[in-house]
Amino acid sequence: MSKKLLEIKNLVVKFGGVTALNEVNLHVSEGEIAALIGPNGAGKTTVFNIVTGYYTPASGEVLLDGEAISGLRPYKIARKGLGRTFQNIRLFGDMTALENVATAADALNKSGLVGSLFGVPRSRRDEKKSLETAMELLTFIGLDHRAHQMAKNLPYGDQRRLEIARALALNPKVLLLDEPAAGFNPQEKVELGNLIGKIRDRGFAVLLIEHDMSLVMKISDRISVLDFGQKIAEGKPAEIQNNQRVIDAYLGVAEDAS
Amino acid sequence: MDFSILYTNFWSLALDGLVVGAIYALISLGYTLVYGVLRLINFAHSEIFMIGTMVVYFIIGLFGFTGYEDPLPLINFIGIFLLLTVGAAVISGGSAVLLEIVAYRRLRNMGASRLSSLISAIGASFFLVEVFRKITDSRNLDFPRLINKDPFFTWGTLYLSADKVLVIGGATIIFIVLNRIINHTRLGLGIRAVSQDERTAVLMGVNVNRIISYTFLLGGVLAGVGSAFYMVFYETTKANVGFLVGISAFTAAVLGGIGNVKGALYGSFALGLVQQYTSAVLGYNWRDVVTFAILVLVLLIKPTGLFGEALQKARV
Amino acid sequence: MSKLSTSGFNLRDRFGDWWDGATGVQKTVFRVVLIGLFYALPLLNNPVIDTPETSFSSVLFYPLIMFSLMAVGLNVVVGKSGILDLGYVAFFAIGAYTHALMSIHTPLNFWEIIPFAMAFAMLAGVILGLPALRLRGDYLAIITLGFGEIVRIIAINTDAIGGAMGITGIPGPTSIFGIEFTVMDPRPYYWLTLTLLLVVIWGVLRLTKRKPGRAWEAIREDEDVAEFMGVATLKYKLWAFIIGGAIGGLAGAIYASQIRSIQPELFTLNLSIMILATVVLGGMGNIWGVILGAVLLGYIPEKLRFLSDYRIIFFGLLMVVMMNLRPNGLLPRKKREHFKEKI
Repeated sequence: MSKKLLEIKNLVVKFGGVTALNEVNLHVSEGEIAALIGPNGAGKTTVFNIVTGYYTPASGEVLLDGEAISGLRPYKIARKGLGRTFQNIRLFGDMTALENVATAADALNKSGLVGSLFGVPRSRRDEKKSLETAMELLTFIGLDHRAHQMAKNLPYGDQRRLEIARALALNPKVLLLDEPAAGFNPQEKVELGNLIGKIRDRGFAVLLIEHDMSLVMKISDRISVLDFGQKIAEGKPAEIQNNQRVIDAYLGVAEDAS
Repeated sequence: MDFSILYTNFWSLALDGLVVGAIYALISLGYTLVYGVLRLINFAHSEIFMIGTMVVYFIIGLFGFTGYEDPLPLINFIGIFLLLTVGAAVISGGSAVLLEIVAYRRLRNMGASRLSSLISAIGASFFLVEVFRKITDSRNLDFPRLINKDPFFTWGTLYLSADKVLVIGGATIIFIVLNRIINHTRLGLGIRAVSQDERTAVLMGVNVNRIISYTFLLGGVLAGVGSAFYMVFYETTKANVGFLVGISAFTAAVLGGIGNVKGALYGSFALGLVQQYTSAVLGYNWRDVVTFAILVLVLLIKPTGLFGEALQKARV
Repeated sequence: MSKLSTSGFNLRDRFGDWWDGATGVQKTVFRVVLIGLFYALPLLNNPVIDTPETSFSSVLFYPLIMFSLMAVGLNVVVGKSGILDLGYVAFFAIGAYTHALMSIHTPLNFWEIIPFAMAFAMLAGVILGLPALRLRGDYLAIITLGFGEIVRIIAINTDAIGGAMGITGIPGPTSIFGIEFTVMDPRPYYWLTLTLLLVVIWGVLRLTKRKPGRAWEAIREDEDVAEFMGVATLKYKLWAFIIGGAIGGLAGAIYASQIRSIQPELFTLNLSIMILATVVLGGMGNIWGVILGAVLLGYIPEKLRFLSDYRIIFFGLLMVVMMNLRPNGLLPRKKREHFKEKI
């Protein structure tokens, strides 16, 4: 069995009095595309917000490559190797595509402000490396020709892909994708599926939140299902498709009180 | 520093604290109501209050008082005071609605950043202060003493006078009315709906622009009423009167938990009391430093305020 | 490669096209001529640009070049990083008081005090920034406003630094390279400030074109996302504050050395707001824009004296109008977009 890169253990999250996630266990293994599905409001994005350090869990553990990361500031977690995209696109609109990606690539070097001011050799080297990494990633997702355009002026589909490139610039151990296919037509969804496959082949593990079932079933190695903050199923796509609890959850049948 | 004043004058300081607190409360409600619906500090609200004091000064000028008259009989005074209050409330309320249209609405509809709205509001605030500075030639405008402020009741160092009773009594009536408006009218329902969740409110058929206008109106009217009380109590105004009063009222709103109507009341009375006691010990010069220090400390230590419910972190 | 120029200042695009195509020699010549022109400004005796009441060369020093220096400093904070600082005048005041007190009470001269003035302003930036920068947006604005006012009120109430009367008899800079700094002639101060402004611009441009600039812009665009992308947001916000503070402190020290006496009333909220207005008018985030803003807002009220009485009315109105109609200012920070068709 391959190494677990991201592991979530007994996670409990509460907002006010409401329990958003209850004793959730999830993991993403090396070289794997894992998917997280569930009806709206099931707590999927909350998982991302916990893992990336935006919220602190009431209890439970998050391990990144065996290291406990809950409680760290989001930027530290990002630098340890966790990149994410957003359900509603959140690019740095007034920066160019290249700068968007380079900003994330910058996180991987330790050059400081004083070094940049005086142009010390290390800072020059790091600057060059950030821009090269950014350009390389833009080429990888097919946006190199738009490198110097403002992110806010890019077409919708390009914006979604740019978010992925930006997250990849962190050289993440695990890439978290939050509904990357939202708003895509069938052709674009196929292309996105191929891109995610290519990302996995480059050695990044992927955790995917997605509503488009055909996409999820096609590309995922393993699927976990959340409903009302609880994991109700986990398994290979074929198993999930035939799981009665999952079907009930999506059809809105009331959960039994187990 | 003389701490003995704290217990020798305990009750009179407490009374003054409540009077000042009542005035702050009327103004801080405007900050809190607007924050509730817009999630934005209405920077120019202090100028709405300033306009109210100017209206009061102007109306009283129409009566031709010189300031050397004998105090008016109570019934006459109350009549004039009601007129002042209504006048200030109408003009302040109207100004607040206008302010929202000029400084905020277009930016909101464009989906501009908070920074833009804030700069726009600060610009409006400076514009208003300077316009009135020109009109009044930067003078202090004194309000004639129309009411007998001699204490009619004494208990130790506690002196009860008509103006203080008027402020506390009047403000209490306003709070009761406001409570009814917010909890028992369609307007109040709309304000609460927009405060809770603007998008859902829109889906439920609430006209958000109209609710926002009414909220500014309500905040402006309260500030106008507050300005009438302020003038009777302090008997002076000037173009930049709003700045420090506004900071105090805002601090009170933050202290009570901004966005929370009851919190604004508690915060105002708490701040009024603290200001009176600390000024008594440190000297009046340091009052505003103390206010700022409270503001900074509350924001840093408990930004939801002492009585506030936790505001939800912005959703990602 | 074709260029995609969106709407806006056409002259600027024309200039940008020329600049992109210019050779190194052409660029150098352009820079030298432009900078030379600025150094020559106080020597020009032209009725068209002369100001009626105050001599043009003193207007050049204050407000023009002082506003420009402060605007460049505030622009790092407000324009680049999106942190609304309403208490910027506090840094200016700290610089001015540092020079005033140290030049009187220590044997150090102006040139030796400058690093202290900047260091104290930076320290103030850390003291204010560390707690305050954890807050966002409008709360931060209020806190900074409070900070500016507290510094002023403390100055008024502290007799050891002159109280409300302030400090008089502040020495000017000692002569350097044979240039004398006298009370009567404001021109050397202008040249001094211009030189320092050029150094500051050089430094700020270096920072903003590299990693720190990207971090600041990312914070301005979306602070949460910047954090998710590995940007140490608090650190960079603090740096923006410190750098802005240092520039403000520098400006304050020069100012105090020129006017020779300072009072707390010189450092009111109005000054913070005026500098903010120059940044807003010129174009938040664009260093050339904010200098243009500072020059316009410094010069116009001096040229048209009837306007100067209404200066702040005008500044306030300007902020509302600019935000509503042209939120990116006269010279927006818009980068020129290059766009290559994919074959």
